[in-house]
Amino acid sequence: MSTRVSMALQYALGTALLLGLWQMLGATAAFGQTLPSLSSVLATIGSATERPILAPAVGATALSALAGLAIGGGCAVVAAALRYSLQFAREGIDRSAATVHSIPGIGIAPVLTLALGRATTPIALAALATFFPVYITASAALGAAQSTHQDLFSVLGASRLQRLRRLQIPAAVPGLLDALRLGAPGAVLGAVLGEWFGAPRGLGLVIISSAQNYQIVQMWAASLLTTLLSVLAFAVASALQFATRRRFR
Amino acid sequence: MSDSGLRVDVWEKGVTSHAQTALNPPGSRGGHIVLRGVDKEFSIRRRQRFVALHDIDLEIPAGSFVSLIGPSGCGKSTLLRILVGLEAPTRGSVLIDGAAPRELVQGHRVGFAFQEHALLPWANVVENIALPFHLAKRPIDQHRVADLVAMIGLNGFEGSRPKQLSGGMRQRVALARALALAPDVLLLDEPFGALDAITRRHLNVELGRIWDETRVTTVLVTHAVDEAVLLSNEVVVMSRGPGRILRRVPISLDRPRTRDMIASPVFQRLQVELEEALDEAESAAR
Repeated sequence: MSTRVSMALQYALGTALLLGLWQMLGATAAFGQTLPSLSSVLATIGSATERPILAPAVGATALSALAGLAIGGGCAVVAAALRYSLQFAREGIDRSAATVHSIPGIGIAPVLTLALGRATTPIALAALATFFPVYITASAALGAAQSTHQDLFSVLGASRLQRLRRLQIPAAVPGLLDALRLGAPGAVLGAVLGEWFGAPRGLGLVIISSAQNYQIVQMWAASLLTTLLSVLAFAVASALQFATRRRFR
Repeated sequence: MSDSGLRVDVWEKGVTSHAQTALNPPGSRGGHIVLRGVDKEFSIRRRQRFVALHDIDLEIPAGSFVSLIGPSGCGKSTLLRILVGLEAPTRGSVLIDGAAPRELVQGHRVGFAFQEHALLPWANVVENIALPFHLAKRPIDQHRVADLVAMIGLNGFEGSRPKQLSGGMRQRVALARALALAPDVLLLDEPFGALDAITRRHLNVELGRIWDETRVTTVLVTHAVDEAVLLSNEVVVMSRGPGRILRRVPISLDRPRTRDMIASPVFQRLQVELEEALDEAESAAR
């Protein structure tokens, strides 16, 4: 059995165990009403009354996460490229990135809501959550080119720009996709967090309003969908990485 | 300058006319290399320096094939890196056709093959061979690239990526890439060092044939004495501690060089002579 197959089996087994435990605890009402069974949560997601609430919420959160990922990831790659080409600014950029990372999302969210508006806050927080992991991975990826390749480009009289375009960037592609893999689930989480603070739609809004209205099953449904969205983002990024790894390594 | 006994200069010492024609064959272009009093020191720790090369005087006429052999650590690879401007000498001067190595590199007139093939993994055979055209901002000469592919015998592998090729094939592609812009100087840093003996011998003969066609000034760094004799006009034996030139041995075998020559008495005699010089270099280091 190949390692990949056995690993997939392990994942499947672990997930099945966890979901089975959830179902058992929920069905026996071990925690009372606060933990409904998995089957009842799934039935809620599929029900005619809840679906019109949940489906657009998933779409809105996915869109915010994607926009945040694009903005945060784009800024991070640009910052990493600047860090790479401006030796003297290296430490300054590193510190700024670390500072951005140290801002707690939950603390800045109300401020962002005031400054950017309720609809934009989820995107901003998703971008913020994406920035640091992508920045770190992209910085490492831009230095990934082998030293023999660097020597080759020196010997062939390559300019700095040619070196970046024909060596550093292609050599960085696998690392950049690693960055995407790390950043994508974070973007979903950032978006949901942003939606807590009065966003007009999204899974975060459903979670907060159902919690306030004691709609426990609906809250669990939204949480489960958030988790699935996050896992899906990771899976898509992983698939993209797998597909391109053959091309660039 | 000290150690004058170790310094040999082809022109000043007046080599025989026969050897001179062998060193400077007809049809050669630029690539006249002159090193004068070259020292190279590396700082290892604070205030501690390692002398990699000491007082190297070497003149390589345009259109010749010179091999550098010597024990590991004798600075032969460092010398090659100095010739292409990857390292700067601590003292002394390096001129190729009267200009600094950097200028030659900026003019895209150097071909270099590394011990590791250094092919770009995301590019196929043709794209790898064409890379020097891109970096020199010249239009890609498709005929030239096709000729090079044919020359290294990789027809049918144009679209293959490096990891789909054998070790020998990769080195051939690296050689073709080094030759792509018809350089004035070809520098080879143990390009066949990692290959098995049969592939190596095969590529030796192939490189000899290519050199006969191009007559590009070539400096080959190698560990293999037979390879050096088979290919060169002259073999430079280096010693270490510090790296210096121990002996220069002209190789006046006829060209084209063939595999059969290896069994000839002249070849054997040269090989023995060089082995002895290498032994001397080894013991000098201790």
